[in-house]
Amino acid sequence: MTNEKKLAELLSSWEETYKKGQLTLWVFLSLQEDTKYVDEIKSFVESKSMGTMTCEEQSLYRVLRKYEHIGILNYELRKGHKGPERKYYRLTDLGQRLFSEFVKRNIRLFYAEEIKSLLKF
Amino acid sequence: MKAFITPCLLRFSLAAVLLAILFRYFLSHGIESHITVLIVLVSFLYGVGMFSAGWYFGKKDAEFLPIFDVGFRFHLATYLVHNVVSELWFVGGFNSEYEKVSVIHVTALCWGIFLLLHLAFYLRAREQTIRGLHKHDLFE
Repeated sequence: MTNEKKLAELLSSWEETYKKGQLTLWVFLSLQEDTKYVDEIKSFVESKSMGTMTCEEQSLYRVLRKYEHIGILNYELRKGHKGPERKYYRLTDLGQRLFSEFVKRNIRLFYAEEIKSLLKF
Repeated sequence: MKAFITPCLLRFSLAAVLLAILFRYFLSHGIESHITVLIVLVSFLYGVGMFSAGWYFGKKDAEFLPIFDVGFRFHLATYLVHNVVSELWFVGGFNSEYEKVSVIHVTALCWGIFLLLHLAFYLRAREQTIRGLHKHDLFE
């Protein structure tokens, strides 16, 4: 096996593990800008993650239903351009606080000068 | 309550009501006419029908919202439907003259003990959940 092929396989394996749990962060990020409906959330996740994150519409609906059920998301029904009403999702106060705490504890540390230099930014 | 009574559980309950009525009808007919094959067959088909309905609607239910209840809600619905339909069957006088209502009561009592055990497992499982969803299954 060439080193390039080995690197690609290792990277793919690591990313597979790394991505577990990332969808929530991307969904929450997408809702920081504005309320969004499912297609918009999906597009945001796929484009802003530069294609490293993909999500099926059905699994996204399932995820949103769970978050709504536990009270970190809610939605309002609004007329789309064409067709039926759409669910526009937004974070609740609890969801926003959860996101802020998560970012403070798990993301912000990557911005410490020491870590930034280690990451060779 | 939203994490207990779900649309799929209601659909399952409706299917169970239908199956229970069919079961009681053919069972009473089999007993009345002394057709052993019919009694055995209808009991077997009732079991298979209930299991299949539980399997189908349970799967749909988990796809909609993965409520972690170790199967208790569907078990409770089956218990209630079966025993209420059976009791009403006797109240309405649709039973065979050879059927005894005491059999229904003894069955409900014995089954009820297993249901209580299941309830204990369910209550224990609930400690690992947030609003009915398993803590390890919340975020993806």
